[in-house]
Amino acid sequence: MIRKRHHWIVRTTHWVNVVAIIIMVGSGLRIFNAYPAFARKGEMFCCYPFEHKPIPDWLTFGGWLGGARHWHFAMMWVLVVNGLVYLTFIYLHGEWRDLVPRRGDIRDSLQMVKFYTFRRKDHPHQGKHNALQKTAYFLLPVFGALAVLTGIAIWKPVELAPLTAVFGGYVWARYWHFIAMLAIVILSVVHVFMVFAVDPYSMTSMITGNYDPSLSPEARNARPFYHLFPRRARAAAAPPPPAAT
Amino acid sequence: MNIDPRKFISINGIDRRDFLLRGSGLVSAVFLAACNSRGPKAADRLLKYAERKNLVIERKLLRHTSMDAVQAGAHDAVNKLPSYFISRTVPVWDESVRGKWALEVSGLVGNPVRLTIEELQQLPQVSNRVNHYCVEGWTAVETWTGVPFTELARLVHADPLAHYVDFQSFDDDYHESWDIESAMHKQTVVAYGLDGKMLEPAHGAPARVYSPVKLGYKNTKYLTKIVFMPKMNGGYWSDAGYEWYGGT
Repeated sequence: MIRKRHHWIVRTTHWVNVVAIIIMVGSGLRIFNAYPAFARKGEMFCCYPFEHKPIPDWLTFGGWLGGARHWHFAMMWVLVVNGLVYLTFIYLHGEWRDLVPRRGDIRDSLQMVKFYTFRRKDHPHQGKHNALQKTAYFLLPVFGALAVLTGIAIWKPVELAPLTAVFGGYVWARYWHFIAMLAIVILSVVHVFMVFAVDPYSMTSMITGNYDPSLSPEARNARPFYHLFPRRARAAAAPPPPAAT
Repeated sequence: MNIDPRKFISINGIDRRDFLLRGSGLVSAVFLAACNSRGPKAADRLLKYAERKNLVIERKLLRHTSMDAVQAGAHDAVNKLPSYFISRTVPVWDESVRGKWALEVSGLVGNPVRLTIEELQQLPQVSNRVNHYCVEGWTAVETWTGVPFTELARLVHADPLAHYVDFQSFDDDYHESWDIESAMHKQTVVAYGLDGKMLEPAHGAPARVYSPVKLGYKNTKYLTKIVFMPKMNGGYWSDAGYEWYGGT
């Protein structure tokens, strides 16, 4: 019983986004390393514990400041256009309904946490995504938009001074740009971990678009790395098998 | 629930080996590209293309009405203002060797001039407390005193065909050329004073160009010549691979 799970536009924008985010983060960190601090010269900065400690080179991209800037200012258009295509598509096609937070999501998220921490036996019932996933996929574009807007704010702090002022001036806009990047990185790392740990079949669905609901984490009652310990998982309560095809 | 073992072998026509091959190929390609390299050579043309398009957008964004303003409560950098030059030692104009320093303003102008520091000081003077935006990402607040560039352009009768202007120095062959629109911004000055004192050699004495609408590296120090030009003329850091425009 194979179903179409992801439209080709969603799949394409997803993988373009992977490349764009990796290059934006890598080149951004290379740029950051030219002055790995937030303080204005002659001042101190309150809220970053690692002032003047550079990011390890292997996490950076672009080779040198000028090269990284060229990558950053080229790839930013890919990121923005790709993001807009994705958001426009899910708005027109209705997929946004699977992602916007609703009343009850907090309760459902707590249930998911309970399930993952063995305090609940059966996988909570879910729609396309579970409540934690929904939150992550909703937050990613939010932090993406924050990264883009703070990025524009520090790119043009004089010509677009009102935008820079919204984020508290150049120094703070640069800080929020960094925080938005950090949030995107954390969400992405957790996302990739959960794909492999809980729902490896979703990897295929993000490539071919097809998905077998009988292999969903809910159907398999899957906790992280459940598929490595099939015996233990079988003991858990399982929903009735799907109708024969 | 029993899981059909065949499901592990073939999903949607792609078997596991296929999937692993394709997947690891993609992942390693991305990582190879992302290792601390300058990125694939083939991308250079695309990056150049993006820079040209960004240049068009940045020039359109420039407004003579948008002014840099220092945030309330911001402190001056004072002795924390970094000092940069490309010569081995701080460039100092040696009068005993080179004669008296004078700033030449020439090129596509009706009335080329040579101005000594005293003559510069007699021209209309402004003091701007503004941000310094460095390409590296830091900023520094300082008060720059000098002649508005617009006054110099008026003095020499700059030709309307001079779309660019080159700021040249005695710091080796350091120079940077600008679009005339940025040079004609109200906050662009040929500065000889910093924080109420005469400019010191560490920061570009006797005179330097200073504007918050350009990144630090565009603001040539140790000025010798300002040349109005019909075409752009690159620059020290621009030729080394930084963006030519370098605007804020």
